[in-house]
Amino acid sequence: MNALEIKDLTKTYPGFVLDHLNLTLPCGCIMGLIGENGAGKSTTIKLILDILHKDSGTVTILGKDNQEDILLTKEDVGVVMDEVGIPECLTVQQVGKVMKNTFRHWDEEEYQRLTEKLSLPDKKPFKDFSRGMKMKLGIAVAMSHGARLLLLDEATSGLDPVVRDEVVEMFSDFTRDETHSVLISSHIVSDLEKLCDYVAFLHQGKLLLCEEKDRLLAQYGIIRCTAEQLGELNPSAVKHKKETPYGVEAMVLRDFVPESMHISPISIEELFIFMIKEAK
Amino acid sequence: MKGLLLKDFYMLKKYCRAYLLIAVVFIAVSFFSTENMFFVFYPCIFCSMIPVNLLGYDERSRFLQYSGTLPYTKAQFVSGKYVIGLLVQLAVLLATGIAQAVRMKMNGVFDFGDLAEIMLMTLVLSAVTSSVCLPFMFKWGVEKGRIAYYVTIGMICALSVVASGLFSGDWETAVPLDTVLPVLCLVGVGIYALSWYLSIVFFKKREVR
Repeated sequence: MNALEIKDLTKTYPGFVLDHLNLTLPCGCIMGLIGENGAGKSTTIKLILDILHKDSGTVTILGKDNQEDILLTKEDVGVVMDEVGIPECLTVQQVGKVMKNTFRHWDEEEYQRLTEKLSLPDKKPFKDFSRGMKMKLGIAVAMSHGARLLLLDEATSGLDPVVRDEVVEMFSDFTRDETHSVLISSHIVSDLEKLCDYVAFLHQGKLLLCEEKDRLLAQYGIIRCTAEQLGELNPSAVKHKKETPYGVEAMVLRDFVPESMHISPISIEELFIFMIKEAK
Repeated sequence: MKGLLLKDFYMLKKYCRAYLLIAVVFIAVSFFSTENMFFVFYPCIFCSMIPVNLLGYDERSRFLQYSGTLPYTKAQFVSGKYVIGLLVQLAVLLATGIAQAVRMKMNGVFDFGDLAEIMLMTLVLSAVTSSVCLPFMFKWGVEKGRIAYYVTIGMICALSVVASGLFSGDWETAVPLDTVLPVLCLVGVGIYALSWYLSIVFFKKREVR
């Protein structure tokens, strides 16, 4: 079963169109949703949860259409939005009590364990938390009610590198159970590179690609050479090039480049930047 | 919906102490004032605005967006505000009622019918106040909704001035309170129910981005 299936999802705002988005996230996998500001990442996550009304298309979460019994579905979905909207006066303890009366399968012990692990103070009001602490509390709530799917919108932003690493590890552990899946959007592509099995690039509301991360990294590479050397290559090998004062840097399809040429590995971040430039 | 009510209760405890304090002061004043009904009506009407206040805090903390990720419908979210509003109004009404009953007893003029009339009148007035206010807030948000609310209240006041100008007789003789009160109660309940329904419809249509 797929954790998430999005078919032809469309949403129009003045000045923005999420254009017939198609995505499939298999169970047990982590998918990274990468895109610049305003690409449509948060809109996609809100449409999945039916917080925004779609214009057309279908969204299936854990085998169920999101238009039927979304409340039951939300019991199985843990969400962290880019701004955790917990009321400012609540403490960690009070949030626990509110959530205990919200989710059917609220796990008090797990919440306690996570808040301790993430060093969250019990009695401090939410308004006095740093952005990082707010995100950590959002993560603790999302992971304490037996969710099978996590939807994370910029959940690692605002966290310091040590905690970010810890949190990324927690998400990774979460998918050790093969019925668990994660869809995560982030600007910090290095986190996604560490974590994800699949990556999806969104640009101005359009999906540029959705592919297995390892396949992408095996498929593409970077060559740095002179303009003449690049000109000798099969034109279909070069997906994008950038001229520098020292020569040319090009994103290439490895299969079309002769073995004699040195191809450097490409990072997901570089791949994304090349693709965005190509799309422009 | 229990979680929503608990959250609102925590917020009420933290943010609305001033409301409750003012209500207590007015109830105390109403205890000593025998002629002016304003002090009897005002605490309940004043506290009927607490749900609006709570909604404003929800907006500011972005809880409206966050609640969309929790297993609650928009109807439950709206209903939470109406229920908490009703509970607060009933609590303040009870306190007002006790104060009035003691005052009547001490002055040797206790009449259960009179007390019930005053309490019903207070409840209807406060329920209608929040009923007029909340649908605007759910449709446009607290800031824009507040403007729409003031415009509507202004129109109602203007209409009532015009209506009273059309009628030149003695109100109390022409329209005895004990006859009108049951009708007013029914109208009050109707307005509250209609307001609740409209708020749900408006909030369902509203996209909280």
